[in-house]
Amino acid sequence: MQPAEKTAAEPVRSSPSPGRRSGRRWDATDLSLVAVFAALIAALAILPGIPVGPLGVPITLQTLGVMLAGIVLGPARGTAAVLLYLVAGLIGLPVFSGFSGGFGVLAGPSAGYLVAFPLAALVAGLLAVVVLRRQRFRAPLLFLACLAASLVTIHPLGIAGLVVNAGLPLRDAVIVDAAYLPGDVFKNILAAVIAVSVHRAFPRLLAGRAPRD
Amino acid sequence: MIEFAGAQVRVDGGRTILEASLTLRERRVSVIGANGSGKSTLLRLINGLLVPSSGSVGVFGRDTRKEGRAVRRTVGFVFTDPLSQLVMPTGREDVELSLRARKLPSAERRRQAEDVLRRFGVHHLADRSIYDLSGGERQILALAVVLAVEPRILVADEPTTLLDLRNDALVRDIIAGLEQQVVFTTHNLDFALEAERTLVVDGGAVVFDGVPAEAVAYYRSLVGRPVRGT
Amino acid sequence: MRGFGSTMGLYEPGRGFLYRTPLPVKAAASLGCAGIVLAWRSPFVTAVALVLTVGALVVGARLSPVRILRMLLPAAPVLVVLALYQGWLQGWTVAFGVSGGIVACLLAARALTLTTPTQDILDGVARLARPFRVVGAQPERFALALSVMLRSIPYLAGLFVDVREAAKARGLERNPRVAVTPLVIGAVAYAHRTGEALTARGLGDHDDGDDEEDPAPAPGM
Repeated sequence: MQPAEKTAAEPVRSSPSPGRRSGRRWDATDLSLVAVFAALIAALAILPGIPVGPLGVPITLQTLGVMLAGIVLGPARGTAAVLLYLVAGLIGLPVFSGFSGGFGVLAGPSAGYLVAFPLAALVAGLLAVVVLRRQRFRAPLLFLACLAASLVTIHPLGIAGLVVNAGLPLRDAVIVDAAYLPGDVFKNILAAVIAVSVHRAFPRLLAGRAPRD
Repeated sequence: MIEFAGAQVRVDGGRTILEASLTLRERRVSVIGANGSGKSTLLRLINGLLVPSSGSVGVFGRDTRKEGRAVRRTVGFVFTDPLSQLVMPTGREDVELSLRARKLPSAERRRQAEDVLRRFGVHHLADRSIYDLSGGERQILALAVVLAVEPRILVADEPTTLLDLRNDALVRDIIAGLEQQVVFTTHNLDFALEAERTLVVDGGAVVFDGVPAEAVAYYRSLVGRPVRGT
Repeated sequence: MRGFGSTMGLYEPGRGFLYRTPLPVKAAASLGCAGIVLAWRSPFVTAVALVLTVGALVVGARLSPVRILRMLLPAAPVLVVLALYQGWLQGWTVAFGVSGGIVACLLAARALTLTTPTQDILDGVARLARPFRVVGAQPERFALALSVMLRSIPYLAGLFVDVREAAKARGLERNPRVAVTPLVIGAVAYAHRTGEALTARGLGDHDDGDDEEDPAPAPGM
């Protein structure tokens, strides 16, 4: 589907604009990175999910995509990618898991999780910028960044969604949510390992190197 | 007219990946060379996708570094893989996207898009998903999309590499019929011979510059293959 | 995007009054449906919403009831479990009110995307975002990003299949890292190529490229 030779040449090509990261406006490449990662989240979400727990909120690779957006693109572009994905779904495009879309999902039991996604990408992205300044222990540290992000955003808001939308008592909601933890840990490990590979293939994707020139 | 004045491209480590001083006036210029030799870099300098680390590249007297946006409006660029070139779900929408730069009223934009699609003989494909099209049809659409805004120069990076023989011929016919100056890279030496001037790039430098037949013979000797009867 | 689009529930040409209804009306109806169902959650409101949405799809888009049921299939597991759980704990009327309401909302959203050309939806969104220009938003770039996103989904799905086959060929299909890493690297490379193609066409730069006197150096990439 794509000539492999071109892929390998990519990092070289961006060379003449050093220091393209800090505080400048987005160019066309940033725009398409945001768009393609929004598509990646959608593609991972659309792949058949496994319903888990009494409410059958499906385990999908969706959250993997959200975390990857944060720790691969960084906080700003990562959050933008997740927001773009959410907007596409909310205006009715069927990009949420189970091919659903539209404002109706805000009435569903998994609404809390959806609302938490951009925050999760933001937190994971901010932590990833710190982690990627160093060369060692990147994978375990990125895993901890993802885990922290999901513990402070996805799980609390997901529980809140279950309480408000599905009418679960708080205790039950916490138990239901806990059913996702093992899968979550697994996906966060996967995200961290993948991100390390991606940053090795595209070293200038995110500030994580000594500034040049 | 394209002018490379001591243009050098270096990567972060300081290694030079391309160096060139040339003036290109010919209507058809082909560029040949091995993978990774610097051909693509050379093409990307022409429309400012890359700016030289030192020296300069000018197009009709405009510096690609200082007037990148204006240069890109003068120079159209066709990539090897049309799927990364076409950004809209259908060809018509993509042509309209190109025409948006002209800030026309939407009815006029639609009419011009239809004109462009007809000119390239792809109006019957215009409303189909680009995923339903063959590689050749996609590449012709990509050409239409780029030429819709009537650039004065067309740069094409291996435009036929992914195509079968029939589509290869189709795309070459279209390029042959263009009025614009065209600079293209290719691994197809027959295609390279269709130019008026051919550059051989090797190891980041233009190692031969001249008549296509001689350039192709030189390139063959470079990779250690004897010249077979052409 | 037809091949993948039809499974995704994007635009399919057809006949019926929904096709002739202006986008703002459809959007308002879809949004209204969600708002009302969210706010009320009563079985009566849900029943009305269901009758209206199913009726609109059957009459307004000439869809068969079987087709409508099939559209709901992917979301069915979640809905069924939710309905059973709530029926068991809070009674069947509550269960119907909530699950049925979600079904109505899903169908309303689908009625819109099925009968409106995707490009029109994107234009509509850009128009809707126009007032936010004042605070520095760029509706055209936003619409472009949405287009690139939608167009990338089939590409990534194809890439995913390729990558999985390649992993299988090496006997590594059980290793998720091998199955997903090339997909993400491929996605980044694809984004770079698309970005380069947009730049080459003078698209996707700030302000849609109308400030000729941009003093900044050429954005190499």
